[in-house]
Amino acid sequence: MSSPKKIITLAGFLLAFLWAGAQNRIEFTEFDLDNGMHVILHQDNSTPIVAVTISYHVGSKNEDPERTGFAHFFEHLMFEGSEYIGRGQFDQIAMNAGAQLNANTSFDRTFYYLLLPSNQLELGLWMESERLVHLRIDSLGVETQRAVVKEERSQSYDNRPYGSIMEKTFGTAFTTHPYRWMPIGSAESINQATIDEFREFHSTYYVPNNATLSIAGDINLEQTKALVEKYFSTIPRGTKELYRPSIVEPVQRAEVRDTVYDNIQLPAVIEAFHIPAMGTPDYYALSMLTTLLSDGESSRMTKSIVDKQQKALFVSAFPMALEDPGLFMIFGIANAGIEPIDLEQAINAEIVRTQNEELTDLEFKKLQNKMETDFVTANSTMAGIAENLSDYYMYFGDANLINTEIDRYMKVTKADIKRVAKEYLTKENRVVLHYLPKQSM
Amino acid sequence: MKNIFKITLLVLLFSISGTINAQTTKPAKKAAEKLDRSVMPGPAPAPVINVGKYEQFSLPNGLQVFVVENHKIPRVTYSLVLDIIPMPEEQLTGVSDLTGQLMRTGTTSLTKDELDEEVDFIGASLGTSATGVYGSSLKKHNEKLLQLMSDVLLNPAFRAEELEKIRTQTLSGLKAQQNEPEAISNRISKLLIYGAEHPYGETMTEATVNNITAGDCKAYYDKFFKPNIGYLAIVGDITLEEARTLITKYFSGWEKGDIAKYAPRLPMAPEATQVAIVDRPDAVQTTLKVAYPVQLQPGDADVIQARVMNTILGGGTFRLFNNLREDKAYTYGAYSSLNTDKLVARFMATTAVRNSVTDSSVVEIFNEMNRIRDEEVPMDELQLVKNYMSGNFALSLENPSTVASFAISTARYDLPADYYVNYLKNLAAVTASDVQSAAKKYILPENAYIIAVGKASEIAPRLKQFNKTKAIRYYDYEGKEYDPDKKVKPAPEGLTAADVNKAYIAALGGEKALSKVKDVTILATTSMQGMTIGFDTYRKSPDKFMVKISSGEMVFQQMGYDGTTAKIVSPMGGESKTLDGKELEDMKIEAAMFPELNFEQLGVNQKLEGIEEIKGNETYRVLLTYPSGTQSTRFYDVKTGLLIRETGDQGIAEFSDYREENGIKFPYIISQQAGPQNMDLKVLVVKVNTKLKDELFQLK
Repeated sequence: MSSPKKIITLAGFLLAFLWAGAQNRIEFTEFDLDNGMHVILHQDNSTPIVAVTISYHVGSKNEDPERTGFAHFFEHLMFEGSEYIGRGQFDQIAMNAGAQLNANTSFDRTFYYLLLPSNQLELGLWMESERLVHLRIDSLGVETQRAVVKEERSQSYDNRPYGSIMEKTFGTAFTTHPYRWMPIGSAESINQATIDEFREFHSTYYVPNNATLSIAGDINLEQTKALVEKYFSTIPRGTKELYRPSIVEPVQRAEVRDTVYDNIQLPAVIEAFHIPAMGTPDYYALSMLTTLLSDGESSRMTKSIVDKQQKALFVSAFPMALEDPGLFMIFGIANAGIEPIDLEQAINAEIVRTQNEELTDLEFKKLQNKMETDFVTANSTMAGIAENLSDYYMYFGDANLINTEIDRYMKVTKADIKRVAKEYLTKENRVVLHYLPKQSM
Repeated sequence: MKNIFKITLLVLLFSISGTINAQTTKPAKKAAEKLDRSVMPGPAPAPVINVGKYEQFSLPNGLQVFVVENHKIPRVTYSLVLDIIPMPEEQLTGVSDLTGQLMRTGTTSLTKDELDEEVDFIGASLGTSATGVYGSSLKKHNEKLLQLMSDVLLNPAFRAEELEKIRTQTLSGLKAQQNEPEAISNRISKLLIYGAEHPYGETMTEATVNNITAGDCKAYYDKFFKPNIGYLAIVGDITLEEARTLITKYFSGWEKGDIAKYAPRLPMAPEATQVAIVDRPDAVQTTLKVAYPVQLQPGDADVIQARVMNTILGGGTFRLFNNLREDKAYTYGAYSSLNTDKLVARFMATTAVRNSVTDSSVVEIFNEMNRIRDEEVPMDELQLVKNYMSGNFALSLENPSTVASFAISTARYDLPADYYVNYLKNLAAVTASDVQSAAKKYILPENAYIIAVGKASEIAPRLKQFNKTKAIRYYDYEGKEYDPDKKVKPAPEGLTAADVNKAYIAALGGEKALSKVKDVTILATTSMQGMTIGFDTYRKSPDKFMVKISSGEMVFQQMGYDGTTAKIVSPMGGESKTLDGKELEDMKIEAAMFPELNFEQLGVNQKLEGIEEIKGNETYRVLLTYPSGTQSTRFYDVKTGLLIRETGDQGIAEFSDYREENGIKFPYIISQQAGPQNMDLKVLVVKVNTKLKDELFQLK
């Protein structure tokens, strides 16, 4: 039993960057259990609900290249049941308590959440601790989820127009680093894996010292601490080595281009540039550069390419927020009758503009206003706050970035934006893909 | 007029929610106690569920305003919805959507560029649709936003040049949808459920989008954008008095007007279950729906019962999901939905499954539909679903706009003022027998449309058994029905393949001109990934043939046949080989200068299969069978007699732009498709009788 939308979120993750809270500070307390589990609590008693979330610092980049898709497969297995929760009961128990639940897997981590009426906090902690310490991994569950994941792949990648874009882009841009495969992985890997391999993966990565428990909502701090101790403190620390790849993707020295024929009607153009990991100063400048290019009707590419030149149905630039150096991506779908090369040239013209001209003061102010709005309005739900606190801690060791990360954006200058455009958005550093319609009779 | 309701509910449900496992329920223990993990913890005392309060006022022009204060975040959002009963748009289908988009492209005093700059500068969002306007900004920019919003709402410019941009985008969007199975499925489902004449059944097509003018958009706006059918929700960091002052200032100038009344014919469920297919020959999955119209209006006495019933069936991870995904692993998800609507509602079960289990999936969907009609739902399952639904209700209250939407629904559908306050109580009162009554009324497995978007050749035979009317209906992606058996129409009585072949020879230049040809050189190019590739073909009578693929001085591949030996050489690496067997046998025919002149002697069998339309032109479809058994299908234009397409195991080739050289027509554009690769060959020059040497055809 698992829930409807175990979608591998990449996009959700990008958004994690635009929060903090100068005007609306998010208060929280945090501590470590003796077994190494990190715990973050945020109290807000305005609505009687609580979000119980747990993040495991394992994503597709921790996988064996021969066993891709493992981290995501666990996202499914984790709903199969445990020693004291029968097969199919995990969802039933949650629903019976009036709770909602789901999970997602990225390149870097796996995230589970339960959103419960606040009087069911203890139930949520019991459920999460049960599947951490007692997950049931048997052939029935594995076989079922193998078939389900295959259909997930068909529905989300193969049978969906442009569904293969991320896979193709990352597969082309990365030659060495494990970002070269997607979290969904390959069906063969999952088919070939044995039950023992799945058990081994769980006992390696699903351990308290690799987890962050983040709780937000209608709670009492002291009571909640006691309950967390009760359910999690007796779980032993993991003993196996946590594989954290130190693989460095070699510097790309020449442009890589490819053409992909897909079941689509309108051609698409993808440009991807290698950029530093999230959290670095240049990352913030690049992130603002994507906002300048495509966030809002008056943004550069939207105004020029979509509205004025009518070359694209839409164009979007976005940074892939990743723990290791990632990609600055631009994705555009051409209007009917427009050749991909025309669209590519229009995109490149806008890139060149950012490299040669500094922003006007007015445009820069607009950009900062946008960043401010995004940051002020972002932490509006308990589930979102819990997830953000957890991500900030897991990636940067500083949950308080939920309040202060905006300062890093505000430090970026007009000159920085021009500089990063020049430094990273170069021809040598990019991958260009043209998606073309496969013609049928 | 102040209509405040602030109701606090102590909801019993939250204590009931542990019922199934009542025997294991116990209060939370202290950490120091030894933990028994086998014991599932029960709930703490039930929290207070506060439905939240809103305040309401209206303007003299009839606009009703609802204010929900929430000061957690310094942001205010406005959403205006107009209670428009849609009318059929017929030849202008899409005019409402386009009007909605066009309103965001400038006012009488602001161009689109100016408007975009103003909105983005304050970090706000502002959107328009066929039925309303939405805006959101930080508190400090609140008044600026309202000023823009009111300008957009009251003074839209409807500039023709902006409509042209929207039209281009819309047409591109329609084109993109041709490959989105979910979009196609939704189109055809709407068409079948509501019928082509009903406003809910209409979908825009390229033709209707092209019909729409800026004047049509203005007419739609003039007809429907009136304050007296408007409901404006204001949510966020604002007080009632601030809201009253601002709304009076910015919306009082909006003039009320009469709205034309309209009542469409009521769509009915089909008399017997009907299968409809949209063919996608490349599909790896079937997008499947079981759907039909029902009568269920907001506020009907059995709405909550019907909703509980649908939730059990498939409104979440329940029966359909458990059966099709968790038990059978046919799919990533399977759900059902039952909406409410003033005009007409509908039931719909939906999933996407691999081709081979399309029929089994329909069987299971029907099993579940029948089970919920025929059997009373077990108590524990009913309780589970009620707990789930009341939990969702409580969780939804975290978002302050939920309260605003409750307020608007109450006003719009004339619900009792305490409808949402009593919602949890009424939900708790639903019995197993209520659920079964609702199922008998709203679940109609004998009167459903089964809409399958997928590979027809594979799924049509599997779905035939479910069709209880005359025949499976086929639709193209735009919703045009066609008869798959009539795709190929019979050829005129008495016409044979030999006649078609003769006409082809005549069209090329006639037997006499063709037989004079001793050799032919055709130089063509194509471009691949930015590189220009030369594609040169040489033929010499009676049966010598050579083709060379190169770029500049680099020769990638050559294939030659000197009348006895056929070879492929690949100087740049790749496969080099000598052909034998079937390949060699076929080469003898393919290498002939004009094999059509001698089909009989060469042993090529021709069969006229009928008339088929290709790209709007009627063609004769002829099946050729070589002595080796190799088959290919040729399509000759009925009007010109020329060959325009040939398909076989190797792929598809299309011929066009025929031009005359030495009295003989040659195609100057040859589009080839093999697998996913498309290649357009453009002929640069054709030379006839240049005395090609035999050596040219002997490859080393």
